[in-house]
Amino acid sequence: MKLLNLPAALLALLPLINPGIALPSNNYTEHLHLRPLPGGSLYAGFSFTSTTPLSSYVANNFRYFPRALAQILQYTHTAELHLRFALGRWDDESWGSRPRDGLREGGNGVELWAWLENGGDGAKVEGEEARAAEERWSDLVNSLSGLFCASLNFVDSGKTIQPVLSFSPEGTLEAGQQTRTNFTGEKQGEKQGELRLLHGMLPHEVVCTENLTPFLKLLPCKGKAGISSLLDGHKLFDANWQTMSVDVLPVCHDGECELEIQQTVDMVLDVERSMRPRESPIPRPLPMEDILCDEDKSYSGHDTCYPKHFDGEMEWSLERIFGRPIRGSCPLSTATSDDFDVTLEVPADRNIQVLAEAAVPQQSPANSLIRHYKLPEGKDFDLFLPQQPQNPSEPQQLPLEQPPLYVSRQMTGYGAERGGMHTLIRNPHPYSQRVVYLESLPWFLRPYMHTLKVSGNGRLKNMYYTPLIDRKRGTQLELLLEIPAESTVELTYDFEKAILRYTEYPPDANRGFDIPAAVVRVLPTQGEEGQGQYLRTTSLLLPLPTPDFSMPYNVIILTSTVIALGFGSVFNLLVRRFVLADEVPVSPLAGLVGRVKERIGELKAKLKGSAEVGEGVERKKAANGGPREAVGDGSVRKKK
Amino acid sequence: MALSTRLLALRRSPVLLKLPPYLSALCIVVGVVWLLLLPLNEYSRSTYISENAILPGQVHTYFGGSEHNIFRAYRQEVWHLSERSDHDRIFGLEHEMRSIGLKAATQEYSWTVAGEEIKGMNVYGLLQGPRADATEAMVLMAAWRNFDGQINYSGVALALSLVRYFKRWSIWSKDIILLITDDSTYGPEAWVSAYHSTSSIATSSRNISALPIKAGALQGAVALDYPAGPWGQRFEKLDVLYDGINGALPNLDLLNTAVSVANSQMGIGCVLHNTVHHFDTYSDRLLTLTKGLLTQSAGHATGPHSAFMPYHVDAVTLRTVGDGWHDEMSLGRATESLVRSLNNLLEHLHQSFFFYILLNTNRFVSIGNYLPAAMIIAGSFTISALALWVQSGKASKGDEQLGKDGKKATEKKMELVSDGDDLALVPKSDLVAAERKIFLPATILLSVHLAGLVPLYLLNNLNRSYLTSAFHFIALATLLLPFYLSLQLSRLPTQQIKILQSFSLLFLGATLSMLATINFSLAFIIGLLCAPLSFLRPLPRLFTTGSLKQERTVDDAQAFVASLVVVLPSAALYFLISPPVVLYVVASGLPGLIDPENWMGLGRLGLDGLLVEMARGWVAQGVWTGLVVWGVWWPAWVVGGAVLGSAVVGIHDNGT
Repeated sequence: MKLLNLPAALLALLPLINPGIALPSNNYTEHLHLRPLPGGSLYAGFSFTSTTPLSSYVANNFRYFPRALAQILQYTHTAELHLRFALGRWDDESWGSRPRDGLREGGNGVELWAWLENGGDGAKVEGEEARAAEERWSDLVNSLSGLFCASLNFVDSGKTIQPVLSFSPEGTLEAGQQTRTNFTGEKQGEKQGELRLLHGMLPHEVVCTENLTPFLKLLPCKGKAGISSLLDGHKLFDANWQTMSVDVLPVCHDGECELEIQQTVDMVLDVERSMRPRESPIPRPLPMEDILCDEDKSYSGHDTCYPKHFDGEMEWSLERIFGRPIRGSCPLSTATSDDFDVTLEVPADRNIQVLAEAAVPQQSPANSLIRHYKLPEGKDFDLFLPQQPQNPSEPQQLPLEQPPLYVSRQMTGYGAERGGMHTLIRNPHPYSQRVVYLESLPWFLRPYMHTLKVSGNGRLKNMYYTPLIDRKRGTQLELLLEIPAESTVELTYDFEKAILRYTEYPPDANRGFDIPAAVVRVLPTQGEEGQGQYLRTTSLLLPLPTPDFSMPYNVIILTSTVIALGFGSVFNLLVRRFVLADEVPVSPLAGLVGRVKERIGELKAKLKGSAEVGEGVERKKAANGGPREAVGDGSVRKKK
Repeated sequence: MALSTRLLALRRSPVLLKLPPYLSALCIVVGVVWLLLLPLNEYSRSTYISENAILPGQVHTYFGGSEHNIFRAYRQEVWHLSERSDHDRIFGLEHEMRSIGLKAATQEYSWTVAGEEIKGMNVYGLLQGPRADATEAMVLMAAWRNFDGQINYSGVALALSLVRYFKRWSIWSKDIILLITDDSTYGPEAWVSAYHSTSSIATSSRNISALPIKAGALQGAVALDYPAGPWGQRFEKLDVLYDGINGALPNLDLLNTAVSVANSQMGIGCVLHNTVHHFDTYSDRLLTLTKGLLTQSAGHATGPHSAFMPYHVDAVTLRTVGDGWHDEMSLGRATESLVRSLNNLLEHLHQSFFFYILLNTNRFVSIGNYLPAAMIIAGSFTISALALWVQSGKASKGDEQLGKDGKKATEKKMELVSDGDDLALVPKSDLVAAERKIFLPATILLSVHLAGLVPLYLLNNLNRSYLTSAFHFIALATLLLPFYLSLQLSRLPTQQIKILQSFSLLFLGATLSMLATINFSLAFIIGLLCAPLSFLRPLPRLFTTGSLKQERTVDDAQAFVASLVVVLPSAALYFLISPPVVLYVVASGLPGLIDPENWMGLGRLGLDGLLVEMARGWVAQGVWTGLVVWGVWWPAWVVGGAVLGSAVVGIHDNGT
């Protein structure tokens, strides 16, 4: 047995670590980024990072790294893991570009992708390697399903794809690099298993508190202290948009390798809605006194009030939005005094009050929109931003960063047979961009690839397409597109809706079937490092032809069948012309067959010998005569 | 075996051969009586909510209080907008939507029908459900002008203030689309068709721009029609409009929800088809049924909701009627509750009936109970067709007696048939089977059907100024065509005429029974109008002179009068049920007698208006009533006439 089932690639690295240099230590840091967004929303991005040296990982010696997850990763030979839980949608038009370049974001529902080690010690048959990787993948999704209380186990072969262009490893996957150098012709020592990227999506999965709890349990402070104390299921899942991510990746610097786990929670809260008291969450119409009326309207009066739009920023505080203040810093955090825990991004002229029981180190660089705070240990911390009407003379607003692209995807058509997919990709920038467009479609949506059209002046540079296999594999479509500057590219194709077996329908068959979001990766421009930016469309609902599991149609179908049967037989009897059997001309084909048979019989008889010849021919003749008599309707047996 | 031989024996039974016309007549009578029975308690049911998820009226509605003041302000605002130009109005509405916090957009559309342009601009806004995942959406609609052309002041204002109020809720599982269309028919049509298509490819008759903003699959639509002016007007009841294009109906659950929310929760009475005073008597129920039958058979839009039905989006319009004590807030709360119910849906509405006839807001007939009425009528044609087919297969006695040198048949009439030891005497005529020649009848039938496309094309493509005269011309040609055809047909042997009629009736029966499952009302009405066609037989000849040049005797004159007595009424009836004549009658406003005020305003339309409406229906709304009239009814009628007259104007003998 291999030592501890750890990824062989990582094991191979161990001797490389120079014992002379201090081993990378266990680290844990956390950070909260707050930024008010236009339209009365607040973006809150939580990130938690812990690292463990590979040696400890191999030795099963964990300090901050969650053991439960580590064991799964070791068992399934996972080199890099990305897990996303997402709900709602990011509104690019009002909120600008996505946080973290969309790297920590997933399609609606659950999304998972991981680099798994192929089950190979050296050269093996391709199919077998793939099967080993698929088994590991299946182990991985099933274990994660248990760990995160999500239906990840439904990511089966039909929902798994192997993207080529859309994802690249974020960590330093030495194994990948090693094999790549192998391909370039360098001498290889012991060939390690290659890494294989597998990707699955569950668009229908509803992310909820039950997923948050295991997520928090992976954190060292488990939501009791530090910024994670703000994470409350009620608020998180009342957000307009929220995404949770777990990323595990190996990071190597100068031969020192450590395993890093990054957990993030990003959300956009509606400030007004979040601040509603929990006792009366119902948004009843406000009392008349609380409504700002536009007195300039000619008709304005005691019973007529045109609501005035409030331009300024609302007052808010962390406690009112999240229901509780931050319960001090996480004592396990290894952050140095230079690291700040909370970052707030507001216009420089906005008043901010820090409510804390202890002195809070803070920093706000001059003329900067950013303010940093450090959490006091063991003491509550809160930020209060009073209401501030906007000064119309010098409106100071946060600059809104434009997203790299605007993408929207819709389904067109109606009826139960055909449909179409329609994606609009708009590039607002004055330079052209290369994007990878990835779609993973379930097998019951059958795209017609000949109808795939890229209109506008977008150019289709490359395409990776894996056709579907009914009930086994979905379609994987990866397009490398070039989107010219300031233009809109339209991507359309038609598809056919498959008819499922009636046992394959879910209980809510008439709701439709969820189609996972398309992933758009904006590739980094030349000379630019990094992953590029990611965008995801919303998921879609595909109505399939659904048998009516209820009454009325059954009635129609049954009646029609009875009528057809009755009508058919009566009509047949009335209309058919009956003739005597003798009158039916022998069809030329039947005659030919008969003659051939006769010949064969004769030949056989000849071969067998003269003694049986006579009998054999007689029998054949009788047999041939039989059917001829039976031609026509047997019921009429009149003879002249 | 025994059964089939017995059946075989039956088909030679003279009784059975004489039965079909009576059977056909019986079918028609049963069909009509069946329909008349439906309003009885025994044949209809009380409505009920089938989908558990809807929970109608189970939510508290909070729309009220300060929202009322805001509503009044919006109503003033809408009134101010109505004073401005169309362009300013659209952008005013768009601005209003933006300030509520919706993503707003506009859509232009135009159709060219009968040389006239129907154009307008829709404005709509998307309220993204805060926690929704953009897969589903529902529509709250208020047309700027309602179906009668009045400006929908309060409806638009109410929709705006409702959406503003909805914006603060986080419970929406679906996006809400606020749609303010230009008119009540074509605006929604343009919008919903653009919603379901990729891009707009303009044709000569249709130019609809694509929608810049879309949401997920539409789950339902509610339209408000409340044309009270800026100072408001209280209403008595809500008229729930539900008929879609081509007689498609929304799921009964939606209608029931609307009725039960308005009735039980808000105490607003509901009516159907503007039958404001409905006392749930037999006659009232029958009236509602008849109105439903007529609107659905016409298949045209009856309100902004109609356009949604072909796309499998269930929709209703709530229209205020009368003068009572309910105010806009009651309507607002009823709408709020209805939208909340739609929001509760986990699946697309599917539980309840899509095929039903409503007798009252709380009573309906399900498809199993009413469908036989139309099916039996359609069946009457099939029975006649079969009878004619059987007849055509028998060597006609007339042929033999007259055909062979005018002598009575000298050959023996009976023939000895032996089966084993059994012997039987069988009439010889039964044993002789005539060869059926079906090519010519089939060709004639096909060409008549193709000829039906000519009026269909002309009436849907001509300019409005020519439309009426074209219709007069078509009417004239239609009425003359049977004469011409029968002149031509009179050369054919009787057998082929029978086959022709048989085919025609067979096609009619099959088409109508198929149509009955899709649009019961249209199938039933066309079936009734065509009913006499099964009984058409070649009329006796009026003039026996012809080529024989015999002297007229007194007997001839008597026979002439006698045949005239038969010919004239049947010809009159025949022409009365012709498609053009019926259309003339409809245009004259006769159906308006049933509901003088509001039966689609046909009485006011006149012929010109009716034809334009029909053309618009065909071109812009996708109504297929025209196709049924000119492609099913008209050919059947023409062939019937040709058969009817094949002997009257005959020059030659019947059979040659």
